[in-house]
Amino acid sequence: MIDGYVLVSAVTLASIYGLLAIGISIVWSSLGMLNMAFGFTFAASGYGAWYIAQVFPNSATAVLAGGILTGAIMGAATCAVAFIPLHDKPNFTVRALIATLAISLLGSQALLAVFGPRVKALPKIFGLRAFELTEDVVITADKLGSVASSIVLLLLVLAWMKTSRRGLEIRAMMQNPEGAALVGIGVRSTAFAVMAVTGALAGLAAVLLSQTYFVSPYSGLLPLIKGLIVALAGGLGSVSGALIAACVLGFTEAATSAVLGGQYVLITQFGLIIAILLVRPRGIGGLLDETRE
Amino acid sequence: MQQEILKVTGLSAGYGPLRVLHDLDFSIHPGERVGIVGLNGHGKSTLFRAIAGLTDWQSGSVLLNGVEVGGRRSQGPGRYTHRIVRRGLALMPQGDAIFHGLTVAEHLDSGAFTSQAWRNRRERRERILEIFPPLRQLLDVPVGRLSGGERRMVSLGRGLMTDARLYLVDEPSLGLAPKISKAMIEALMRINLDQGAMVIAEQNLSLLEGRVTRLLGMHGGKLKRGADLPLGHGAAMEI
Repeated sequence: MIDGYVLVSAVTLASIYGLLAIGISIVWSSLGMLNMAFGFTFAASGYGAWYIAQVFPNSATAVLAGGILTGAIMGAATCAVAFIPLHDKPNFTVRALIATLAISLLGSQALLAVFGPRVKALPKIFGLRAFELTEDVVITADKLGSVASSIVLLLLVLAWMKTSRRGLEIRAMMQNPEGAALVGIGVRSTAFAVMAVTGALAGLAAVLLSQTYFVSPYSGLLPLIKGLIVALAGGLGSVSGALIAACVLGFTEAATSAVLGGQYVLITQFGLIIAILLVRPRGIGGLLDETRE
Repeated sequence: MQQEILKVTGLSAGYGPLRVLHDLDFSIHPGERVGIVGLNGHGKSTLFRAIAGLTDWQSGSVLLNGVEVGGRRSQGPGRYTHRIVRRGLALMPQGDAIFHGLTVAEHLDSGAFTSQAWRNRRERRERILEIFPPLRQLLDVPVGRLSGGERRMVSLGRGLMTDARLYLVDEPSLGLAPKISKAMIEALMRINLDQGAMVIAEQNLSLLEGRVTRLLGMHGGKLKRGADLPLGHGAAMEI
């Protein structure tokens, strides 16, 4: 039952979930905000990519760039509306949760009002070719493209966080906000960078998932939930934990679809996460922590 | 007389309904090393945090190099801290405020975020390693794995990476063995202040005695009138 096909879908799903979860995880740990507007950013990026596809129907790069750029802009906009006015007020975590949820709901309605209820299809940006790995395992171009582009963007983001000055700022803020302020790191400008970069990740995920699903005003809801649970299972704030969780949950989803049927996917995924969190309340990332607080 | 580096007038601050500092007035002049002594819970740390804008609320004037960084504020702790830091404040807080997952080298680099410091961070790092030689072997180790004394060196070193004019050092001896505490204070005394000034908060008067240029006593959130104690004997009595 668990054959090459399942593995291929597992890797594809894992790479897309990884993009979503790392976005949520980084925002949570550096800004202390659970970004519910991620779903809206996702849906809006789908429309952004779709709009670009109307203008440049033959350019895969343009469609990808359109999605990523829309995601970055939406992320920065969320930051301006929900983070900047609230971040130094009491009960910021709850307020930000509500504010971003409001953005998500309002945004979806706005997309519905502007683009109408009919779903849109993105062009197959990676073409329709298929490659035979073995006799019965065929990997299609869209899956291969999804995996490759998410890995490339993830590696770029991680390298940027590891080597650049901005990345050092973000990592400092993730680990000790007060210490960050004391070395002269401004929360606000860093927040814009964080939100734009994670928005871009959501934008890429949107374009990639839209290779399989349609773009619709509410298409961000399920990716938001998946991203949240993967980030939770990985241990909020842990990038490597989120990646491992994405692999585990991607595999669970692919295996469940193949063995039990697609309607059981959420049940097994949530069951697995509950099990992980019962055993490791801090998620998988808690296992990887090798330093003291 | 030269302009004060820090001039505090009528500073009150606290957390929520709790008022910790009561109408403080004092100034720090260039070249000074000032010790603030007082028991735990009498407001030494809160004073430093108020100067850095980290308390829940505060009122009163805080002039840093003649620029107002205080004022009345009832919320937003830490919101303006980075700007105050960029104006030449280096606070080495109690508990170190370290980034446990960053390496020692990254840590020291993070201290150089302000202005020109980033560009010549390597030379600056070299300077810190001369002050704290044990850190040289630990450059690639995450700070979360270091011992308490090593962490303190990292925290102090990070504060020294900038071109600060005012260094506020909060309890450099806290939690350290007496011998290491002494070494830490001596390292702080060796630092060339140039036109800057340093304020060290300590519970342990004997560590500061004879080393600083001036001692202030803090009690119940107040610097008592005539708090500028003479050096040496008698200082302990008035605290």
